[in-house]
This record gives sequence, structure tokens and C-alpha cells, in this order.
Amino acid sequence: MSSALNLSHEPVTKIASGKLSMWAFLASELMFFSGFFGAFIVLRNSNYEVFKAGSEQLSWVLALVNTFILIGSSLTMALAIYHLERQNTKLFRAFMGLSILGGFGFLIVKYFEYSAKYHHHLFPGQEEHTIFFSFYFLMTGFHAMHVIGGMIPMAYMLFRSYGKGGYPYPVKVETLGLYWHFVDLMWIFIFPALYLIFP
Amino acid sequence: MSHDHGNVLPSYLKVFFTLMALTLLTVAAAKLVHFPDIAFIPGYVVNIVVGLAIAVVKVTAVMYIFMHLKFDNPMLRFFVYVPVFLFFVLSFALNFLEKWTYHH
Repeated sequence: MSSALNLSHEPVTKIASGKLSMWAFLASELMFFSGFFGAFIVLRNSNYEVFKAGSEQLSWVLALVNTFILIGSSLTMALAIYHLERQNTKLFRAFMGLSILGGFGFLIVKYFEYSAKYHHHLFPGQEEHTIFFSFYFLMTGFHAMHVIGGMIPMAYMLFRSYGKGGYPYPVKVETLGLYWHFVDLMWIFIFPALYLIFP
Repeated sequence: MSHDHGNVLPSYLKVFFTLMALTLLTVAAAKLVHFPDIAFIPGYVVNIVVGLAIAVVKVTAVMYIFMHLKFDNPMLRFFVYVPVFLFFVLSFALNFLEKWTYHH
């Protein structure tokens, strides 16, 4: 199997069409999250005290741990692609497995966060902080769904790599990698916006 | 990626440690530092701008190295930078408009 991707059929863009499509999809994802951020900023500034009080109920330490997990998972994903392109199937499996574990770790921490909020009656529809927690669950919830959505094809690729000749499509892993890094990018914004920046 | 771009592993690790350090810096800047007013910009707005600026640096590092913008066709960068730039314009513009509407 050659890892070299033949781009002669992409004479104009010199980019594999799957990757270009993924970038277009990520641009639309960015607009999707922009809606949340736009509404969040407007309502935050007009109800600043409510949002600040809500944010103080969150555990920024858990969110910091999750940030480290996601950044680590991004690194292992980049390394998985690197090793697949060099046809090093064993290291590809190891790093892909670590990336999936990172996703699991993120979701487990998220589970503890969510259940703590539930036990303290901090969710939409309660008397206090209800706008803030609508945003909290909407933004982190959609983000967590993106994490789950990324882990499914990652698990499939890991599974396929145990077949004969390893996983045969490095460019598909690279395309999925773009998505996985994007999930990390969105968390880089969500973390300070919800947990930190309330001076 | 059809072409070999040398050994990228050191730059991957550099980005990883930069991201870790900047994450800690974000927390420190938000939790420990209360910025003073700078000219006509109130201190709490400086806090928000610093937080966003660190996020911008982190995002750029991820896109440039992890997402291979450095190594791919330069044309792709335009596709990426334009929506990302508009996203920042949105967050800055809304923040500033709202701040000045409600607090002044």
C-alpha cells in the first residue's frame, strides 16, 4: 500500500476533494456555533449578574482537566495520521486508541459535571440561573455530541486496521482528523466563554 | 498529503506544549488578574479581550500545524481564514456594542 495520495485528478485545488469538503463542512459548523456564541454574548451582557452567578456554580477545574484531555487527544490524532502515512500500523493503532480513550475521558468528566449540576438543581426551568444553564447545556451538550460523533468513525478505523494490510486510506483518517481538531477548537472557545471570563 | 514535509513531530510537540501553557495562562488571566483601565477601555473589557486573544493564538496554532494548513495548498488558507475571521469579528463586535449599550 502506498501512502502517497495521487492528486493528479485534482489539478486545480491540489487538495483531496474529501478534505476540501470537510473544510466546507467545518465552516458551516463554525456558523452553527456562531449562532450560540452570538446569542450567548448578547444575553450575557444584558443579564450579566445572572450569568456571572451561574458561571460561579460551574467547576472550572473539571473543565480545565477536560481541556487538557482534548488537547492531548488532538496530539495523539495528529500522531496517528503521521504513523499511518508511514505505514506504521502498530503505532497508528496505539495513537488512534489513545485518541478514542481521550474522547471517553472527556465524556466521563462531562458526566460527573452534568450529574453534579443535576443534583444541585442547576438546569433550565429552575428558579435560579435558568438562562445561563440553558446556554451551558446547549453549548456543552452539542459539543459533547460532536465528540461522540467523532469517536464512532475513529473506532471503525481502528477496527478496520486489524484487518489485512492495516487501514488502507490515510487521507480518510486525515479528513476525520480535521473534524477531531475542530471539536478541540470549539472547546478552546467554550471553556473561557462559559467557565472563566466573568471579570 | 502527497509530499513529504520533513519531520513534523517536533512541531507537533511544540504546539501541544504551547496549547497546555496557554490554557494555564487563560485560567490565570481570568481568575487571578484584574486588569486596570487602559485609556477609554474599562478593565473588565481588557479581561475579555485578553481571554479571546489567547484563544485566537491557540486556534491558529492548531489549524496551522495539527490541521496541516502549513503544508497544504495555500489557497485552502483563504477558505479557512475568512470564516474564522468573521467569527472573531462577530464575537468582538457583539461584546463591544453590548458593553457600550448597557454599561455607559
